[in-house]
Order: sequence, then structure tokens, then C-alpha cells
Amino acid sequence: MAAVARVSRRALTSFSSSAQPSAFHRTFSAEAAKAAAITPSPDRVKWDYRGQRRIIPLGQWLPKIAVDAYVAPNVVLAGQVTVCDGASVWPGSVLRGDLNKITVGFCSNVQERCVLHAAWSSPTGLPAETSIERFVTIGAYSLLRSCTIEPECIVGQHSILMEGSLVETHAILEAGSVLPPGRRIPTGELWAGNPARFVRTLTHEETLEIPKLAVAINDLSKEYFQEFLPYSTVYLEVEKFKKSLGISI
Amino acid sequence: MGTLGRAIYTVGFWIRETGQAIDRLGSSLQGGYYFKEQLSRHRTLMNVFDKAPVVDKDVFVAPSASIIGDVQVGRGSSIWYGCVLRGDVNNIVVGSGTNIQDNSLVHVAKSNLSGKVLPTIIGDNVTVGHSAVIHGCTVEDEAFVGMGATLLDGVVVEKHAMVAAGSLVRQNTKIPSGEVWAGNPAKFLRKLTDEEIAFISQSATNYTNLAQVHAAENVKSFDEIEFEKALRKKFAHKDEEYDSMLGVVREIPPELILPDNVLPDKAAKDQK
Repeated sequence: MAAVARVSRRALTSFSSSAQPSAFHRTFSAEAAKAAAITPSPDRVKWDYRGQRRIIPLGQWLPKIAVDAYVAPNVVLAGQVTVCDGASVWPGSVLRGDLNKITVGFCSNVQERCVLHAAWSSPTGLPAETSIERFVTIGAYSLLRSCTIEPECIVGQHSILMEGSLVETHAILEAGSVLPPGRRIPTGELWAGNPARFVRTLTHEETLEIPKLAVAINDLSKEYFQEFLPYSTVYLEVEKFKKSLGISI
Repeated sequence: MGTLGRAIYTVGFWIRETGQAIDRLGSSLQGGYYFKEQLSRHRTLMNVFDKAPVVDKDVFVAPSASIIGDVQVGRGSSIWYGCVLRGDVNNIVVGSGTNIQDNSLVHVAKSNLSGKVLPTIIGDNVTVGHSAVIHGCTVEDEAFVGMGATLLDGVVVEKHAMVAAGSLVRQNTKIPSGEVWAGNPAKFLRKLTDEEIAFISQSATNYTNLAQVHAAENVKSFDEIEFEKALRKKFAHKDEEYDSMLGVVREIPPELILPDNVLPDKAAKDQK
């Protein structure tokens, strides 16, 4: 009795959920045509036991990670990316050097969920590579596209630096700031806002704190680095898995 | 030589076994804090009960992306690293030639303050920039959503419109055709020039080509990856300029050559 009620309820919900999208498909007739035009491939992999590779070489370009740099296993480095000594790239970041070079300098850190990309050409006409020099802290969730960040800067969380931006030495960008294309932040100043505007100059003490922050995050990244073995032991799991499925190793 | 080879192989095997035993010893020393590495259970295309994603065969879906629920993706589109397209409470339709760049989020709303429930519809040849958040919106063909933009419920971005980087577009805003809206909250900034409109469709094409390269790379098997590693090592020290000075013409193995239409410079040269 209860089973019948359950089955009928399930049938009802599936009917209603299928009725709704079809109503939408009738109003947006273009969508109906599109739905018919999609040909899914039966070979598409829905689940890959390997997960996402961290280093994605493209053609001849191979991303290079220094031996003592901490790059989280979650990160995607693709194309021409160089992560220098002492640098750290925290989980969730994507560094896509497919059109141009990306460099993360000595003791710099790119925090969680950042996206660093390099456009093919910059509106300023200068080389459009994204280069982050030494002792720079890029706050979490930032987006950097073809910008140059000179030594010893801090870029706040959730900031967006567009093509051709230049952040000069000892500058600090507050969280949430958006730099329009080609914007230059002069030395030793604090900028904030969307679009970024000048707030005040930094005192000398604050300027000294900037590399200290980068070094502190470097120390923290060393702790994370120690958690990982130089080579993953997941191959044992793969062998077990394949044995259980009867696939020869 | 056969027996010597076998002997070395066996010794190598003993060393590996010893290594694994020492690894087990070390793990037992770590005791409660021992971390056992597991296979990745991340599912790129995931069903939520009966709602399954329908993705065309030409689409590049990055392995770290998540396409969940009732999502349709048309041909030539690309879903880049770290994206999440969650069609769990309503449906998402992504057209053809569209690119949803890294770390973006496309979601739909089930219940809304105003009571309307909207599917998310993204048209053809749309460029959605890095880390954009699109929630229950309609983005028409050849529009451009800048990176870091947040589009809230009910927003309609019309054809050839641009949402600038970092903007927050409030609920039910309609962004008319050919205009650039920016800021938080998003307001009209300026009109798009014809050059910029042409650039939008060009960028969508560039991305489709780039996506094919990434797709080919991500799908490689272990053997192919190892083989290319060896090839790259071999070619690491060979500089084209030096070779041309010597009069040597060295051929880069075909596996290591990127297709010409990826880099815009080369594509332009080809067209000439």
C-alpha cells in the first residue's frame, strides 16, 4: 500500500519536472532546435579516476614548479607557467599560460581560487605576460590578466587586475579593487575601489611589513608542503581497483 | 646477458618491495594522523537523480569542472577549469561556441524573493569571463560577461552587450544591446564600438580553438603523457635560433606542435 503510494508520488514528481522544461522549450523555440542539435558522444568520460592533472603541458610548453614551491594538488598550471623558489600557489587556483607567459616570483604567493591568465596582446603594447615579481601576496579569489606586479606588493582579496595593469613596488591594493586595463599604481600607495582610486600613501613601517607578510605565508606553505610525500601512493589504490575489476595491471 | 638482466630486474623488484614495506612502517608510526591517498571521486558530469547533463561531443569540459543536473551544452563550447554548472533545481542551456572560463559558477534559482523561477539560458558565441557568477539569467548570443562579474537573478544581457569586469548586476536588470555596463551596482557606462562587437565574436572563435588544444591534452592516457615527457626532455636544449645559425633544420616532433589557429598571430599569418 505504502509502496504504491511511493511509486505514484515518484511518477507524479517526474511527470511535473518533465512538464516544466517542455513548457519553457515551447516559449523559447530556439532552445528546442538547440536541444535537438546536441549530439552527445557515447565515449565522453564522466568520471576519470585520475582527476585533474596539476601540470598541463601544451605543445612544447611545460609548466615548471621549483622544488621547494608549494603548489596545491587542486591547482591547474597550463602552458607557459613558472613558479619560482619559495613561492606558493594555494588550492583552487588556475594559472593558464596558454597564450602568454605567467611567472610567480621568489617567495610570492597566489592564494586560494585565483585565476591568472595572460592575454595574447596587451592594450598598452608592452609584452602581455603576467609576471608576479618577488615577495608579492595575491589575495584569495583575485583575477589577474596580463598584468605586471613589481616586487613587494600586496593585492587584496577578490581584486581584479585587467590587461596591461602595472602595480609598482611597495603598493597595496585593498580587497575588492578593480584595476581597469592599463592602470598604473605608483610606488608606495594604497588604492581601493571599483574602479580603483587613490586612498593614501603608505608609511615606511607599512612598506616594511609587505615582504614580512610574504615570508610569513611562505613559512605557512612549508607546513603544507611537508604534508605531501614526494611521490603519491595512489598507485596502490589504482592497482587494487584494477584488480577488483579484473583489469590486468 | 639475459640472466644478468633478470637479476637486475629482480633486485629492482626487491628494492621496491622493501620501499613499500618501509612505507607501511612509516604509516603505522604516523598512527592516527596517517593519510591514505584515495582515487579522485570527482565526477565531471554528474546526474542528480533523473536529471543528466547532455553535452555535445565537440565540447571541451575540463576535468576539474563540474556539470551537474539538467544542463545542456551545445557544440564547440568549452567549460574551463574549475567551473561549476549546477542545474539541480532548474535547467541550464548553454549554446554553441560559448566559453565559460575558469572558476565560473552558473546556477539556477528555485525559489526567489519575487517568486519567479528562471532557467539559465546562455546563447551562442557568448564569452563568460573568469570567475563570473551567473545565477538564473538569460545571456543572449554574442554577449560578453567580463571576469569576476556577478549576474543575479532575472538579469537579461542582450545580444552584443558587455558586462564589464567586476561588476555586480542586480536582479532583473536588462542590459540593452550594444552597451557596456559596469560597477557595483551595474550602471550604463558607454556604448560599444563596432570594432569591439566584432572582437567579441572573434574572441569566442579563438577560445573554441584553444579549447580543442586543452581538450586534446587533458584526454591523454598515461602512456602518451610519458612519451611526450621524454620528447620534451630531448628537445629542451635545442634552440631554433642556434640551429638556424648552424644551418641545421631540426624538426619538432608533431606531438609537440600546437595547431596554428591557437595563437592569434599565427592564425592571422595563415589567413594572409
